[in-house]
Amino acid sequence: MIRRSLNFVIRGLILQNRIVKLLKKDFYIEFRSRASINISLAFAGITTLSVSLTSATMNLPFRVHSILIWVIIFFSAMNSLSHIFIREEEEGTSIFLSIHSEAEEIYIAKLLFNFILFIVITVVVTPLYLFFMQIWPENFIFFASSVFCGSTALSSITTTLGAIVAKTSMRSSLFTVISFPLTIPVLWISINLTASSLEGGSVDLLNLLFLLAFSGVIVSFSYLLFKFIWMEQ
Amino acid sequence: MFLYRLVYVLMPIGIFLSLLWVPPANILGDASRILYFHVPVAWVSFLAFLVAGLHSIALLIKKSEILYREAMAYNSAAIGMVFTVLTVITGSIWAKVSWGHFWNWDPRETSIVILMLIYIAYFSLFSALKSNPNRWGISSVYLIISMIIAPFLIFIVPRVYPSLHPDTIINQDKKIHLEASMRITLFFLVVTFTLLYGYIYKITNKLSLIIIKLRSSHDI
Amino acid sequence: MHERYLIEASNLSRRFGKSRIFRGISFSVESGECFFITGPNGSGKSTLVQIIAGLQKPSEGKLAIKLNGKEILESLWRHIGFASPAMNLYERLTVYENASFAFRGKDKSLINHYISLFGLGKHKDKEARILSSGLRQRLRLITAMINSPGIVLLDEPGSNLDVEGKDVLFREIEKIKKESLVIIASNDPEELKLCHKGIDLAKQNS
Repeated sequence: MIRRSLNFVIRGLILQNRIVKLLKKDFYIEFRSRASINISLAFAGITTLSVSLTSATMNLPFRVHSILIWVIIFFSAMNSLSHIFIREEEEGTSIFLSIHSEAEEIYIAKLLFNFILFIVITVVVTPLYLFFMQIWPENFIFFASSVFCGSTALSSITTTLGAIVAKTSMRSSLFTVISFPLTIPVLWISINLTASSLEGGSVDLLNLLFLLAFSGVIVSFSYLLFKFIWMEQ
Repeated sequence: MFLYRLVYVLMPIGIFLSLLWVPPANILGDASRILYFHVPVAWVSFLAFLVAGLHSIALLIKKSEILYREAMAYNSAAIGMVFTVLTVITGSIWAKVSWGHFWNWDPRETSIVILMLIYIAYFSLFSALKSNPNRWGISSVYLIISMIIAPFLIFIVPRVYPSLHPDTIINQDKKIHLEASMRITLFFLVVTFTLLYGYIYKITNKLSLIIIKLRSSHDI
Repeated sequence: MHERYLIEASNLSRRFGKSRIFRGISFSVESGECFFITGPNGSGKSTLVQIIAGLQKPSEGKLAIKLNGKEILESLWRHIGFASPAMNLYERLTVYENASFAFRGKDKSLINHYISLFGLGKHKDKEARILSSGLRQRLRLITAMINSPGIVLLDEPGSNLDVEGKDVLFREIEKIKKESLVIIASNDPEELKLCHKGIDLAKQNS
């Protein structure tokens, strides 16, 4: 019994070790090519600037601000989120990757990478937006946690969909089609939460938890199903 | 198969019941009769989605008879797509008659549109995977993931945000006390449409099986 | 304990959509044996190697890979070393990083040992995208052999290699084939001479 659980812990550590290795590899490649993050950040900056250029003098309702924030975040992240898997397929490295790692390790590493990428994009986009539009949320912690929980849920669902799309023949255009119906509930709730935090509404714990629960459900199912996407079983 | 053939008898009876036998609803008049088709059709579109998802789960667990099981999930989704379109059409006619607009973005309307988008996404994915030998695995995973998300969409979102749609007239309509004869007719048509779905489903599955067998005997 | 691997294939076939690549392939190989797969272009050598590596599934037939008599059902990749022209390396990683990505052991000096063994010592810190195709092939062979796996699958191992590269390759294969199970898919008679048994896909299909 003890030996078995010890074995389990050791296996877990090895798995963790491999995940760190995979993550390190993705970050090295990302930093050396800077293909996706640069485009994403440029996209985010340009859209934020053009929105503020055209509408900073107008007094937009908070709901519109919230919609704009999420649209900018979502579309700037979208490109790089699917890119992490598409790159492996386009450069033909997926055989090298799968001959040296377990499907589950690949999934977790890519999920973490996407999550970090998403957080980086939100950390850049949101202050930029608040600064240029000259608004300040009434309840900052609620605002920040609404953005954080929304990003978690979005990155968890788009990681799986990115893996699916990478295996098809028309990649990025299909990504929009297949991710739209499944990201709608998350975007919808996130927009509402952010709007209510900007308006100074009371903290809506239920919906924040809903977003986290949603990510939990999606991540656990994706963990189980990922090997069917990654390779023929 | 015999059970499904009952649809030949039940469907005329159902049409008779809904169009002639049942008295018209008190405010909407004869136009309310579309209810007896709209509700069963909407039920079948969700049922077909569920069946497609369950077949995908069975496919991933058993990993045998891949081509046939994949075709079964696809056929159910194809039938579901047709029924979803019918739901949207009948629903918007009803909406026009009762509220004066074809489309109102009421929570229920939203959920059927999203269901339709999921179907469309599934078919686009399926055709984009044509050259991939692992099409069955990937398309099944997509169906399963969307089946997990669908309850979030259909049940939770409308309930969490009742304030978004202050007068959901459908819900008020639902609360209108349906007479016994109306209930019987509605129930009868739900059963009939379910049988109709089952009948079409069986036929398409048989057809797929024939195509698969023809193909495999062709090149050996 | 000494690890003994056994690969048994019975009646394998593989089809892509409507077209069939091969059918009726049966063979069995054990540790300590070297097995060759040959056949004209398009006869399915690479596909067969990828099926053995678990990267593709046979459409029909059964492939069993056993370790000490027990079939390996999961984490097959832990037992396999694989090199194929279809396997691209990470262009943006250096030679050392690519090799250490493949390396699963603890003793990191082995990475340097293998890199200099295949004559990549002075290219160690170059990104893989600036290597020539011959050097890339050497790097592929390094990633296949670095863990001293029980099963080594080599698809066209000698492609693009110069005389010196081939010498190293042949020496290494001679060395590992005493203990490991080696499968080579190639059309080069020199490489096929390393193995004492094998199949010709051209004859199988006719």
